[in-house]
Amino acid sequence: MRSVSRWLLAIMICGFSIAELAAQCPARPDSGTVVTNPFSISSQKGVFTAQMTLAHSVDSAGYTHYCYKYTAPSGVVESPTWRLNPGDTLNLEILNRIKSQDDSTMNMASPEEAVCGDGGPITVSSTNVHFHGMEVPPTCHQDDVINTVIQPGSAGFKFNIQVPTVQPPGLYWYHPHIHGFTEFQVNGGAAGALIVEGMEKVRPEVSGLPEKVLIVRQQYLVPWVPGPYELTLNYQVAPSIGGSHPIIQMKPGEKQFWRVANATIQDFLSLQVQVNGKAEPLEVIALDGFPLSKTRNQDTILIPPAGRAEFIVQAPAKGQSGVFFTQAYSTGPTGNPDIQETLADIQLNDNASSPVMPIAPASPTTISSDLANQTPTAQRKLFFSEEFGGTNGPIQFYITVDGQKQRVFEANEKPVITTKIGAVEDWTIENRALETHAFHMHQIHFLVLEVDGKPVANQDLRDTLQVPFWEGTGPFHSIKVRMDFRPPVVAGTFVFHCHILLHEDLGMMHKILVEP
Amino acid sequence: MKRLLDSRLLRAAALIAGILATSGPATGQTNYVVANDDQSGVVHEGVSFYTVGTNGELTRKKEVDTEGFGISGGYFGADRIRTLKSGGQSCVYSSEATTGDVVGIVVSTLKVGGSAKGSKNDGGTSNGIGLAMNNQYLYASFTDSNTIGTFSVQSGCSLTFLNDTSVAGLQGGIINGMAVHGNMLVATYTDGSIESFSISSGTPVSNGDEQVSTATVNSQGAMYPNSVDITSDGHFAIFGDTSTSVVAEVSDISSGKLTKTVVYNSKTSINSGNVMLSADETVLYVADTEGDAITALFFDKTTGALSPGCTSGPIRGISADWSYLGGLALISQSGNGGGVYVAEFGAPSAIGIVRLKVSGATCTLQEDPKSPVADPTSPGLLSIGNFPPRSF
Repeated sequence: MRSVSRWLLAIMICGFSIAELAAQCPARPDSGTVVTNPFSISSQKGVFTAQMTLAHSVDSAGYTHYCYKYTAPSGVVESPTWRLNPGDTLNLEILNRIKSQDDSTMNMASPEEAVCGDGGPITVSSTNVHFHGMEVPPTCHQDDVINTVIQPGSAGFKFNIQVPTVQPPGLYWYHPHIHGFTEFQVNGGAAGALIVEGMEKVRPEVSGLPEKVLIVRQQYLVPWVPGPYELTLNYQVAPSIGGSHPIIQMKPGEKQFWRVANATIQDFLSLQVQVNGKAEPLEVIALDGFPLSKTRNQDTILIPPAGRAEFIVQAPAKGQSGVFFTQAYSTGPTGNPDIQETLADIQLNDNASSPVMPIAPASPTTISSDLANQTPTAQRKLFFSEEFGGTNGPIQFYITVDGQKQRVFEANEKPVITTKIGAVEDWTIENRALETHAFHMHQIHFLVLEVDGKPVANQDLRDTLQVPFWEGTGPFHSIKVRMDFRPPVVAGTFVFHCHILLHEDLGMMHKILVEP
Repeated sequence: MKRLLDSRLLRAAALIAGILATSGPATGQTNYVVANDDQSGVVHEGVSFYTVGTNGELTRKKEVDTEGFGISGGYFGADRIRTLKSGGQSCVYSSEATTGDVVGIVVSTLKVGGSAKGSKNDGGTSNGIGLAMNNQYLYASFTDSNTIGTFSVQSGCSLTFLNDTSVAGLQGGIINGMAVHGNMLVATYTDGSIESFSISSGTPVSNGDEQVSTATVNSQGAMYPNSVDITSDGHFAIFGDTSTSVVAEVSDISSGKLTKTVVYNSKTSINSGNVMLSADETVLYVADTEGDAITALFFDKTTGALSPGCTSGPIRGISADWSYLGGLALISQSGNGGGVYVAEFGAPSAIGIVRLKVSGATCTLQEDPKSPVADPTSPGLLSIGNFPPRSF
């Protein structure tokens, strides 16, 4: 039923939008041009202040844009990068100016708990903001995505967040998280980078290097109807067939620090930089905003939807050619085919100029986690599963605590897990579905302990991790991760879910309560 | 104790019937397995006819062009092909979801005898058009309009549209599976609702028994009936559920109305989207639609109880060649069926052959070495059927 409703809604939106919407969003860069970093806003004297407007328009090819607009001195820009330091105060005002649509065909149940913001029915024109990866409170005017609803046309909604002094330096991101319609808005491009400064203090390898902030997004004409999609790099279309690729300029042989966010709605990026057809080693600095305790070289970096990777790339030598691309990735028999695509051609230019990463005024010089040495206070098992009533649906997407009944997320549900501040828990997450899922935990990072029951070589701290599909025979694939509920700031109710956004919107998500 | 004895006798009978079933179809009768090839796009839809050999082997004889267009997919529970052998008529009826019509094929000539559309609002472009029929009427579940179209069966395998009945699940669900027995039509909806209708006058009239199935209630909506079959005496309706395990539900309909369903869960594989009773009603075959196997459950037609049977190994080609298992047809029209043919939804699709052996209270299901048989023109096979049809 939901699938059908969403399909009809899409047709209606596309039809109305093309006919009625003027270009509310800024123009996006043409294909085949040089990729530049997004405009960035930095905190000043410990305070970050910005006002952004979420708007909506349709381009000439029929793609719907949802854009975070910010008025910079040079004019209106889209989805600026926020740059903050640990301990800063973030003051953000969001204006919802999505043009009112005839969204009467579908809305989601509103939360019955304390309303934060405007309340009222959640529709495709409602929004809110998730500060993905940030270890901040899940409360109103901070990182609450359950009860916060910002309705179109209302007065600005203000967020006031204290960035923890222990927030690891790295790449985070912001995006809408309005249940039922997140996919619409992120598919339309509503996502931007959030950088916590100070990486050079923790990982001096990056000190003084030119920095590239690269956001990979994905756009479908209709996000949940199977069909061709486009990946974009900093809003520049990376055509899979024909056309010109985005261009990344580098000086021959130079090292650059690339900070890549996977802001796609469902694409698993299997990233490589190839020089003359051969994969180059990439020196991995951080994953999901958490600096590695020791860097490592990898030819391929897999980033699930919502994940981030920060790494050092060495440019080809003079006379060589390079490309930045994502390999094909199998998401299983019922998953979406993630095709190989060139994200950018690397263009060598002796005069290429890239901004050097700013030096943080004060940041922790070491980031360490003692999570691996903690004794877990609880063990839990969860699993992803799906049910298909037909090839086109209705499809039900579940994440379930083992022993509980399978059910989709409801705004008014009670938390399916209750724990306490101070807890350290080991969770095993199985995938019983025939497609790969991307497990995401709000508010905290988790330590990856095992994959398919075997200890991993690198116990990384992540906030999003892929759980491969079940082949139809044999044991289910699984991950075992250690959850850290010790930071007092995460007390409250928040969610965990699959970060394939259609799945999240259709209910592959549940609440967890962390009692103070 | 008596029930146990009855059960053993039934299984012994099933074993004998199974042995007899391997002797193949009666001589002088052309038996077919037919497939709604469900082509979409620019290629006309067609029905593929496979002759059934003495050991149940299939040989693709011909695809009959039905001239419309399908959608290459849709609900698992909606059976898109039905057959008729009655009163001198031998017909295969196949629905075409995009063009919204039902086509009748004359079996003796393998040519189209006629086709009919429902009302102007009727369509199946979203999830297909399911069919159910008796000797007089054919019923079509239009998933776009949420209606049951009633057609009268005419000579030459043609049809005449009579009228529409608007239907809906209790929570707005879409019409999905249908089965007919005597004057009763039983339907499932995608929200877990089930409902029966009187068809004594041709047009379905609700029996006022619409209800949410027990498994749906127990799982808070996580499971719901998909396909449905009815016993030969009209005593029980059996539902195969969309679920993450094999779940079947049985409703006693001997009163002429649906009663609360009893849930049976075999906890193996995924999604019992399609179910079919054997001719002697000792075995319920279950296609694990989203899994990779066929399950056989023992059925007691006196009590309506299901008991554990057996599950096949993985059907060859999952992921590489097909993504879902679809509808079922019996290898033999007598006894326990000796196994089933199963639609393998892929591009191109195929028909798998899975053989059953019963020994006392146990059984085995094994895929035939010659399985699957290609259906090269189908980009999304979900529904197959036997001609002549099962006797009930």
